Amino acid sequence: MALSEADLVAATIGREGPRRTKVIRPVAFSFRDLWAGLLGLSAYSDLLVVLSAHRLKVRYKQSMLGIAWAVIQPLALMIIYTLVFSVFTRIKTPGVPYPVFAYAALLPWTFFSTSLTNATNGLVSHAQLVTKVYFPREILPISYIVAALVDLLIASIVMTGLMVYYHVGLTPQVLWLVPVTLVMAAFTTSCSLIFSAMQVRVRDIGMAMPLVLQLWMFASPVVYPLRQVPERLRDYYLLNPMVGIIENFRAALLGNPLDVHSLTISIVVSVVLLPLSYLYFKRVEATVADVI
Amino acid sequence: MSSDLSFNNVSKRYIVRHEVEDDLTKHPWIRKINALRKRRDEFWALRDVNFAVERGETVGIIGHNGAGKSTILKLLANITAPTSGEIVINGRLSALIEVGSGFHPELTGRENIFLNGAILGMGRREIAEKLESIAEFAGVKAFLDVPVKRFSSGMYVRLGFSIASHLDPDILLLDEVLAVGDAAFQEKCLQRIEGLRRAGTTIVFISHDLAAVERICDRVILMRRGEVAATGKPREIISLYQQQIEPSRLNTMKTAMEDDRAVIQSLAFYTPSGLRPSVFHTGDPLVARIDYVAHEEIKDAVFDVFVRTGDLTELCQLTTTTSGSPINLPVGPGTLEFHCEELGLLPGMYHANVCVKERTASEAINWQYHAATLRVDPGRIVRGQFYQSNRWKLLRSSHSATPPNGVSEAERPAGTRRPSLTPTS
Repeated sequence: MALSEADLVAATIGREGPRRTKVIRPVAFSFRDLWAGLLGLSAYSDLLVVLSAHRLKVRYKQSMLGIAWAVIQPLALMIIYTLVFSVFTRIKTPGVPYPVFAYAALLPWTFFSTSLTNATNGLVSHAQLVTKVYFPREILPISYIVAALVDLLIASIVMTGLMVYYHVGLTPQVLWLVPVTLVMAAFTTSCSLIFSAMQVRVRDIGMAMPLVLQLWMFASPVVYPLRQVPERLRDYYLLNPMVGIIENFRAALLGNPLDVHSLTISIVVSVVLLPLSYLYFKRVEATVADVI
Repeated sequence: MSSDLSFNNVSKRYIVRHEVEDDLTKHPWIRKINALRKRRDEFWALRDVNFAVERGETVGIIGHNGAGKSTILKLLANITAPTSGEIVINGRLSALIEVGSGFHPELTGRENIFLNGAILGMGRREIAEKLESIAEFAGVKAFLDVPVKRFSSGMYVRLGFSIASHLDPDILLLDEVLAVGDAAFQEKCLQRIEGLRRAGTTIVFISHDLAAVERICDRVILMRRGEVAATGKPREIISLYQQQIEPSRLNTMKTAMEDDRAVIQSLAFYTPSGLRPSVFHTGDPLVARIDYVAHEEIKDAVFDVFVRTGDLTELCQLTTTTSGSPINLPVGPGTLEFHCEELGLLPGMYHANVCVKERTASEAINWQYHAATLRVDPGRIVRGQFYQSNRWKLLRSSHSATPPNGVSEAERPAGTRRPSLTPTS
């Protein structure tokens, strides 16, 4: 008699090896559970990779320009801002031509705003999945951030082109890009976790996001340099962690001295905010399927 | 410690928010503000639930809608957290659910397998190893590099199920998934589940399909209003559940259509040889036997049996109204039998009502609601709404239109498929 499907299945499955015991308890995600949450996340690292790749693939499927869109957005903004702030009105950017100056800040800013826009809807747009399967939910918003990081790399190619064209040379300062990008990723992740969790209950968050990002950009030194901010407002201005991130990203890229003061603020805020936002997210996660 | 899974005093509360009644005479802004003060009600979906599932056991969970079945499923799958209590899961748990909703239409079958597999918790290497088998099982091997938006809905569903069924978990959660795809695919699914079972997988099966529960499970848990009402052998618990349905229905439906001239004492289903099996199969012969007592002589009586589904849809009637000679009942007990050569009902659970009346009267003499339950398992039909009894013969194809003499006849009953999944306990 031929083997049936059932026999085959029974024969191919091994029942060896240790088993992990999992205990599900009511929501009480505290600092002690932080580690458990991270362990759970690492067990799903493959999902993060697949899902991030998926974001990129989907975005460029059935689009003619494809991956070029990663470049078009910051490039178009750079051209507009160059027209406005360098041709119509003059903003002084000592030592660097305005296009290079603007593009160097639009790289991190585009990363931040794209991540946040997509990640905020990350949970809600996957309601179907969230109510059916378990996986660490933070993977949804984080996958958008990883995808945006890849976009950032692609858009950086144009940066090199611009620097060659305007004869702006790279200095060893450029190595600072790594820590600055890390701080930026940490801060973006914190914001994404908070907003995507809030969006589950209050959909106004997603509605307000474009406006908030617009204001936020002008509250950050993207189209103008930090030193043009009036001295008396500087202290309040620096409370925005994106100030330190953008200013120093540009400084590292263009070989200017870092602004240590603002960078320190960004680092402190990010380091404190990241675990807090993760805890908040995990707390919401436990009952997200009931609310979404 | 050999239990794979245990619920210890688990409760789950949902907060239900009611919209405050909208007063259209008020200004829209005021209505908006009023709407913010929604009434909050508590609803306990589960209350102090305790049970354990041993390693290698297959346990069914049954109960009415709202009894807490799907809440248990969601808690086990870690989709939502309990309000109090603790759930211990020992090993890798997977829910066999249809996850076609996680597909992205623009991505190819292959890309979707990787995506969906990862969502379900498989590593990339594991998926790559199983890719072939997943596509094979779903029958989409030739379409792996086609975007799934070009898939038929059947392919879509089969692929989703196929990925989920390749998880090889220690503990498997089964929802009402067996209703996926066509009969041939369902058969494959059952085979696969049977294979997992034999390999020692612990299975929790949550279903309305009592026949399937009885076939697969070693033990059944009956839920009632968020609590465990009973646990035990499938047959006992299922019959307990059926008794539980019936009295409530009887109360709500019983009308004043009764007088004492004749009483129907029982309705039961037999085989022609007089056996009384617990299950019939589509296409089986069936005898419906009515036992009655007439207290007065009744002229030109009519007997009716109505077969209904669980949701009270009337499916068919056995009646003496339109056939045979008039029935005159003398005083005393008697029996009437309806003989059906081939049962036309599809697999499922049915209830039968029975009544006796005078042909000319508008009201029945005696009605019995839910006088009997009829369980039908798969038999002679694979698809459709009902079984049309038939025979078939093969006519040798020929250009001449008249094949009367030189025809080889192969006459036999149509489609003799029987489920091959049998209880192994």
